Amino acid sequence: MKRVVKLRVNGLEYEVALEPRRTLAETLRYDLGLTGTKIGCRIGDCGACTVLLDGVPSFSCLVLAVEAEGREILTIEGVADGGRLHPVQQSFVEVGAIQCGFCTPGMVLTALALLKDNPDPTDAQIRRAISGNLCRCTGYQKIIEAIKDAARRMREKQGVL
Amino acid sequence: MRLPRFDYYSPNSLPEALTWLTEHRDPGIKILAGGTDLLVDIRGKVIPDGHRPRCQQHRRGPWSARAAAVEPVNCLMALSRVPELRGISLDGSRLRIGAMTTIAELERSPVIRELLTGLSDGAAQLGSPLVRNRGSYGGNLCNARPAADTAIPTLSLAGKLVLVSSRGERIVDHGDFVTAPGATVLESDEILKEVVFDIPDERRGSGYIKLANRKSLEISMVGAAAALTFEPAESGAGRRSGERGNIVREARIALGAVAPKPLLTAEAGEYLKGRKFDPDSAAEAARIAADTARPITDHRGSAGYRKMMVEVLVRRVLNLCRDRALTGVAREVNV
Repeated sequence: MKRVVKLRVNGLEYEVALEPRRTLAETLRYDLGLTGTKIGCRIGDCGACTVLLDGVPSFSCLVLAVEAEGREILTIEGVADGGRLHPVQQSFVEVGAIQCGFCTPGMVLTALALLKDNPDPTDAQIRRAISGNLCRCTGYQKIIEAIKDAARRMREKQGVL
Repeated sequence: MRLPRFDYYSPNSLPEALTWLTEHRDPGIKILAGGTDLLVDIRGKVIPDGHRPRCQQHRRGPWSARAAAVEPVNCLMALSRVPELRGISLDGSRLRIGAMTTIAELERSPVIRELLTGLSDGAAQLGSPLVRNRGSYGGNLCNARPAADTAIPTLSLAGKLVLVSSRGERIVDHGDFVTAPGATVLESDEILKEVVFDIPDERRGSGYIKLANRKSLEISMVGAAAALTFEPAESGAGRRSGERGNIVREARIALGAVAPKPLLTAEAGEYLKGRKFDPDSAAEAARIAADTARPITDHRGSAGYRKMMVEVLVRRVLNLCRDRALTGVAREVNV
């Protein structure tokens, strides 16, 4: 039976009628039209569906939408500031960390959470942080470079402010 | 493919959850903790069964990775809003870990790093960061897989599981909790509330080493956990000879992925007890541990290889435990 669930996504409140079996990933894509979140394996292996739940990277394919009620959900659509890309996104574009792009939303969100905790991560820390997000194109090297580049940009920006 | 249809109930307190479970005794009810195993298991298999095992022996073995087919689910009871099941607390010499504590919380807890180092090692190597952020300690234990990365250290550290129902509370040693792959002594109206550890006064070092083909998203081929407690160094004659601080008071060695359930090798622990710890005694204990392992051959590795690796891993983990007992873990570098 469907029930009405209030979800807070990218700072906006949504009311959705959904079955308990609806996953958060399905709700984001099919009910809210936020198709930036990708569905890959559906079993928590690939990380393509990564969103931030209260700031913590979580795969939305293994979270029931009803369980996300009352939590702050951030998807890739909420990362840019209007038309201005977030430094992490800008670095991904400029360094060449995007090929097919399927893993990119999850990678960006995971990187975002990492850089919030650790503004100057080592290569090893970056590799460990993204070890649940699979990329079949880039070989990861450019992604790691992009995250380092974004970290530098964000530190510089903070220094200015 | 969508998840199968099910009902959903989300209690707001432990008594509420227990009352509801007592009133709804039904094998179709499953308890939802982090969901990183359950929501995978109840989803219809994407790969047809005929295509499944990449290795034929996998099917012929006495137990297999997903042997316990999940019965049809008609209702999930979610524990995410039950506050009593969360948190890590140290009360004197007892450390309690709520069942809904996430694996990531275990991994990051300085108290657990210091006092239950092996469990901290296990949490840090489970699944991937995304799995650890959602997955719960209680879920990993109740899922009862023979390779579970938090179960093996829990067994070596003599964790006691507190099971609650509306009938009351009972305490079960982890060694008696798992009965078969995927099966535990939990009754249909019971919930794992927390795990309790006694912290000894003596110096203790613990650790867990996982052998797997890659560093992330992997099920171990062999896992070895140990906890070594040493006699105090500062008494009488032993002090002069410098040996007393090296005498093992208690040793518990647990193995993962080499038997249908997490395996405590009592014989190897018994051998070390009262003995001086040195390379020879560690090597002998490792040999004994390898003898007790009953691994199978599957696509992760052959039984013979696993047995050899038990010996290597136990030797290494025992030495790790000793180093940690001597110098503490504070100076270890964590990536």
